[in-house]
Amino acid sequence: MKKVIVSLLFGVGIYLCIPCCTSCRQSSPPTPGKFQVITTLFPLYDFARQIAGDKAEVSLLLPAGVEAHSFEPRPGDIVRISKADLFIYTGPLMEPWAEDILKGITNKELIVINASADILLSQEEDNHNEAHAHQAEVSTLDHEHEHGRQDPHIWVDPVLAQQIVSAIADGFAAKDPANKDYYLANAKAYNKKLADLDIQIRAALEKCSNKTIVYGGHFAFGYFARRYGLEHLSPYAGFSPNAEPTPRKITEMIETLKKAGTSYIYYEELLEPRVARIIAEGAGAELLLLHGAHNISREELEKGVTYLEIMEGNLERLKVGLGYHG
Amino acid sequence: MSTILEALQYAFIQRALVGGVFIGCCCAFLGVFLVLRRLSLIGDGLAHVGLAAVGLGLFLNTQPLWVSIPVVMFASLWILWLSEKANVYADAAIGLVSAVSVAVGIALASVGRGFNVDLFSFLFGSILAISIHEVFLSVILSIFVIGMVFLFYHELFAIAFEEEYARVLGIPVEKINKILILCTAVTVSLGIRVVGTMLISSLIIFPAITALQIARGFRLAMLLAAVFSTLSVLIGVFVSYVADLPTGAIIVLTNFAFFVLTFIFKKMTQ
Repeated sequence: MKKVIVSLLFGVGIYLCIPCCTSCRQSSPPTPGKFQVITTLFPLYDFARQIAGDKAEVSLLLPAGVEAHSFEPRPGDIVRISKADLFIYTGPLMEPWAEDILKGITNKELIVINASADILLSQEEDNHNEAHAHQAEVSTLDHEHEHGRQDPHIWVDPVLAQQIVSAIADGFAAKDPANKDYYLANAKAYNKKLADLDIQIRAALEKCSNKTIVYGGHFAFGYFARRYGLEHLSPYAGFSPNAEPTPRKITEMIETLKKAGTSYIYYEELLEPRVARIIAEGAGAELLLLHGAHNISREELEKGVTYLEIMEGNLERLKVGLGYHG
Repeated sequence: MSTILEALQYAFIQRALVGGVFIGCCCAFLGVFLVLRRLSLIGDGLAHVGLAAVGLGLFLNTQPLWVSIPVVMFASLWILWLSEKANVYADAAIGLVSAVSVAVGIALASVGRGFNVDLFSFLFGSILAISIHEVFLSVILSIFVIGMVFLFYHELFAIAFEEEYARVLGIPVEKINKILILCTAVTVSLGIRVVGTMLISSLIIFPAITALQIARGFRLAMLLAAVFSTLSVLIGVFVSYVADLPTGAIIVLTNFAFFVLTFIFKKMTQ
């Protein structure tokens, strides 16, 4: 009886796998004539999509809903990268696996854009008294260590995002010189929107009475906070989502929230906000999403969410949490 | 002392203590039998099976826990079947089942068309982030598991030491084994959700081996295992609060310290 059940389950499992492997792996077969662009994270995908218009086919490597830090590429992904014309990634800190793949790819035609190449990554700020005491937790793994020291989340700052857009546009122009003007014009138009977003955020945050973002996840908004003169508090020592917070840090956050009279705490996208929920409950605060845009959920992908929409949503929720008085 | 009282004011610390102690006692009671049956790694193995459940959850689009409990129960029966009927040693059986599960989980997760949340973060809990709902679950679980152990105490005891003899006595060995392994499966699948993988496997192994170092009788061993487990959770939570260190790691290290102390005690009194 058991043997029958075991073999049945195996059979069902294999049959579930086969149609999926063949059909949904390559969700859209490459259209001939257009050149292929592969991006790692969602913001890069969205930027490249805006620049490409109808001249190139842009795809996102990360499956929807997969947390960017826990992603591991599949063999099929590596094949796709090696067949692509343009590969865009954030940099070796955010995607340590990308460097390894690129070393193994022999396609001489592939142009690789490291979006953070021209941006000086900022060091972790010593904004908590005990920040350095926690370094030991973060440094247990090699790449965690790097991730813990330099902040790779450049795209959350709309000003740095414009630099990324320009870098991507240059890559498009180099790959397809015939349409160079088209790409540069698209990039310029999009950068205008990003500049507007910057102005909009600046104006709104100036009218906020509170300048501290209380965050229950690993803080991805360092560049954003610095750009707009905001402070931030997080129970995690670095930017790495893998380190565990200590009970003391959590109680400190609860006390700070109570003292500051802030009744909102922000949580990160895609992960279950367990720690944020505990702090919110202890301090009687409400939870608000601060979307780091590393990646989007399947629902958001189907709705066709854009980077601008995510950031505008963040701004609305920041206004609520930081006491906007317009 | 005042720091301890200060810590106790926080609801999340209270829940960590209550949830941790109850899950810890479940693990300690089951651990004594599992360690004697050479199945001590089953906690680790079944936690890996949880990964396969995540993959399945992607397809079925349901709460990970409702998928992981039956899947882990099935896997535990499979381990038992392999070790009893297929002539595979228990450690190899655990390794086989957990490797297959991890492989299936990874394969399923990667052929999925993407999903709405990172399910891995939903499956693996942390002792500091136990919800009140999970505290109730762990209390109910403990009552159930401890009740089962009391109900079948003599049978479990006989099988743990001499399976053949138990058979001669007319004890339904296979049925009792199934009950033990299914209790373990439920404890592990709830436990990884409540306190996380690392704590579950160490709470199964440590209190049992520590107690077996010094206990003369079987009843005393079970009692001591529960005491060590409870103390390690209490000390771990408070020390991690005072010293500002991660709680899970401190609980495991406290368990290890107990083991070293009992080991030295045993050597000295011999």
